Amino acid sequence: MIPILSVRDLTVSLKRASGTVPVLERLSFELDRGRTIALVGESGCGKSMTALAIMGLLPDGFALEKGSILLDGEDVTKVPPARLRALRGNAMSMIFQEPMTALNPVFTVGDQICEALRLHQGLGRQAAMERALAMLKAVQIPAAEQRLHAYPHALSGGMRQRVMIAMALACRPKLLIADEPTTALDVTVQAQVFDLLKELQEEMGTAIVLITHDLGAVADITDTVAVLYAGRCVEHGPTLEVMEAPRHPYTRGLMACSPHLRLGAAAAGVPEPLQEIPGLVPPLGQRPPSCAFAPRCARATDKCSAQDQPPLAAISPDHEVSCWHPEERAVA
Amino acid sequence: MKGGAALWARAARQIVNIVGLLLAVVVLNFLLIQTAPGDPAQVIGGEMGGASPEVLAQIRAQYGLDRSLPEQLFTYLGKVAHGDLGYSFYFNQPVTTLILDRLPATMLLVVAALVLAVVVGGGMGVLAARKPDGALSRFVSVVSTAAHAAPVFWTGLMLLVLFSSVWPILPVAGMVDPAAQYSGLDHALDVARHMVLPTVTLAIVYIAQYSRLMRASMIDALHADYVRTARAKGLSERVVVGKHALRNALIPLVTMVGMQFGQMFAGAVLVETVFSWPGLGRLVFDSILRRDYPTLLGILFFSALLVILVNLVTDLVYRLIDPRIRTGRAA
Amino acid sequence: MSASLPTTQTGAPQGVASPAGTALRLFLSNPIGLGGLIILVVLVFAALAGPQLYGVDSLDIVGMPFQPPGDDPILGTDYLGRDILAGLLQGGRASLAVGFTSALITVVIGVAFGSLAGFFGGAADTLLMKITEFFQTLPTLLFAMVLVTLFGQHLVVTTIAIGIVSWPPTARLARAEFLRLRGLEFVKAARASGAAPAYLIWRVILPNAAPPIVVSATLAVGTAILFEGALSFLGLGDPNVMSWGLMLGQNRAYALDAWWTVMFPGAAIFLAVLGTSLVGDAFNDAINPRLRKR
Repeated sequence: MIPILSVRDLTVSLKRASGTVPVLERLSFELDRGRTIALVGESGCGKSMTALAIMGLLPDGFALEKGSILLDGEDVTKVPPARLRALRGNAMSMIFQEPMTALNPVFTVGDQICEALRLHQGLGRQAAMERALAMLKAVQIPAAEQRLHAYPHALSGGMRQRVMIAMALACRPKLLIADEPTTALDVTVQAQVFDLLKELQEEMGTAIVLITHDLGAVADITDTVAVLYAGRCVEHGPTLEVMEAPRHPYTRGLMACSPHLRLGAAAAGVPEPLQEIPGLVPPLGQRPPSCAFAPRCARATDKCSAQDQPPLAAISPDHEVSCWHPEERAVA
Repeated sequence: MKGGAALWARAARQIVNIVGLLLAVVVLNFLLIQTAPGDPAQVIGGEMGGASPEVLAQIRAQYGLDRSLPEQLFTYLGKVAHGDLGYSFYFNQPVTTLILDRLPATMLLVVAALVLAVVVGGGMGVLAARKPDGALSRFVSVVSTAAHAAPVFWTGLMLLVLFSSVWPILPVAGMVDPAAQYSGLDHALDVARHMVLPTVTLAIVYIAQYSRLMRASMIDALHADYVRTARAKGLSERVVVGKHALRNALIPLVTMVGMQFGQMFAGAVLVETVFSWPGLGRLVFDSILRRDYPTLLGILFFSALLVILVNLVTDLVYRLIDPRIRTGRAA
Repeated sequence: MSASLPTTQTGAPQGVASPAGTALRLFLSNPIGLGGLIILVVLVFAALAGPQLYGVDSLDIVGMPFQPPGDDPILGTDYLGRDILAGLLQGGRASLAVGFTSALITVVIGVAFGSLAGFFGGAADTLLMKITEFFQTLPTLLFAMVLVTLFGQHLVVTTIAIGIVSWPPTARLARAEFLRLRGLEFVKAARASGAAPAYLIWRVILPNAAPPIVVSATLAVGTAILFEGALSFLGLGDPNVMSWGLMLGQNRAYALDAWWTVMFPGAAIFLAVLGTSLVGDAFNDAINPRLRKR
């Protein structure tokens, strides 16, 4: 069976007057039907850029340098624009971070959900409205009949994000990309949205690329995880294994930053204070070929900054890490 | 029906506001007559009108000018409330009749210029926004700055000179060809030909402003998150730009068009003077020349009334295209 | 609260100097604004020194009427045989003076209304803004025409009339700035330390509200010059003082036979307004560097 999504060697760069600057470097991962992969890492590490590259929506100035993105075997980086539009919103769709601004303020919720249905499935106005209503019910929006004719500003953030989910899933896509779908929402609503995504995924068999800072959600609903740092994948493997035994110091740092997680520490029974990773992600254009995390890394040696960053290497059948000095399993 | 009650309350507030504003204009007119140098009766009669002693005595009696100021004010208010804006002794006609006779020609000119400015200016702005650093964008910036600085009466005069002596393909004066006696469609075509230059002259400044505004608001809209959402749905560029972005970018334009109506109306006065267009502008010019104060003050009142009505319409259109305003903050 | 609140008017006045310097530097580095400034300087210089240097009285009849531009006089003569160039130089004085003075009146009235409304809020705000709204329902040019017709064709009347009809937008701008600034920390601090309202308005808030007001004042100069032209064009100019508008108004009837009599005065108005709007735009860009790209 071929994977729903197969990203190979994805390299994206930003064209500046001073030259091209790499934004994403040789990113690869695969995702099977009905499965979920998490992309984690700090802001500015290339997570959203990956999502936009898959959708073919890279902002002006950003260009796909090389690599391929196969959606159900079809390379979306090579298809003509018309075919790409036929796939967007249909076979693959996306939920954005800001539900407050991602919906058009001057059209009703129903209109905006119907657009994709009418375009991709050739439904008439009436049929599309019925499907839109069914979708609003599916995302558990109360009083869906009235909300169908409401404008976005009349809905709360959580409701709007549900509308976004309804819109994205209206055509039962094979792939859903959720780019920090809960960041802008109240904590209590965040869990509801993740539960909803999980539920709908089970019903529709949609594969999900989830971008989030919420490592609790990563643990709960994802199957695999890819850790991105400064545009490179530094660790990639099954979620449980990566979270229980992070091998890259950056991954470990991320886990230590997360209050209710710290699976490793909790498992060892050692109360460990909440930590933070010192320093910042290096800005675009200031990323050496050597390990970009080395300046912030407690384990770094001269080798780390002298030699190019090592390629991802398997340390167990599905678990890869890119580090000269990976953490020992025992540490966890 | 809470919404219904709120709507009525809003309408009531608006009516009170409108009546208040109109009342204020009338009071202002009254005060202007009182404070202007010279005898109020003479002001009302008009310096060059038939200000004979009999007429002046008649005016004094009519406006109660021998009574106290508040009484005079009430007399004046009462007259205006009955649609009586005074009598022009120069034209020998009630001011209201004078204004209503000439209003259609002016409205034709103003509305045509408005439509031209919105379509051409808005269109240029939308096209320029697609390439913010492109040639059209630069053209829009340069031309809008230049057109903004060009006095409308001067542009008109220059076009007049150009089309009368250098390139005489269009009529440069009046609204119809008096010799031809056209009727029906021919008449309409004749008017259309006469309209071209005045309309373009009046529209130029606004084309410039609207293209600039539209370019800016369209660039904003095209960078908005909801446009990205629309693209992510697979919508074609035509729908993304023409529906999702345009609908939002139009909101500032509507506001601006509504706000500038009064300005445009006044601009028509200048343009009509240049091209001998038989509208209110000519009436203004003649009343200035003859010191026909009742007519001038009547026109001031009338134009304020128009501005208020247009503001009302703008408000409605605004509600129509921006649902955030429509439902108000009650939700 | 009562214990010890040190003199806390810092921050605001100190903060002004360096942003103003930055803005000035940004302004001077903007070729468009510089171009506008050069236009204005040349026009002002021509108006001030031109009449003496050229040595021809603008009201003197120097030759036949309607002499086209050529050798002598270089820009031709008007309907009475007066030298057009002399008229432009002399007329610039009145037109520019009206422009700057009217703009000053506009700003004084506008800032007075706007600052009081924005600072005090409540009933004062409602009342002042109602008055502003009222003035905005009167089409400015028509209102100015009525004022000049009633009170006499005199340059002083024209100047005051233009100021009286033009202030509402400035008032709205000033009000918005005052509303924004009065909630900021440094104003609260000054208020808490017992500063009187007048002091707060003049010394604490106004300096910080100045940049956008300066922009609008610059643009008001251009608008006032346009107004002077329009009024004179309609025959409402001061017949005793040469101005660009007066030249246009008096020669208007002969435009078809002698284009130069109206072309040059109109071009002078155009240049003056262009200069002010270029400078105004550049000011605006300089105080809002964020918006420069748009």
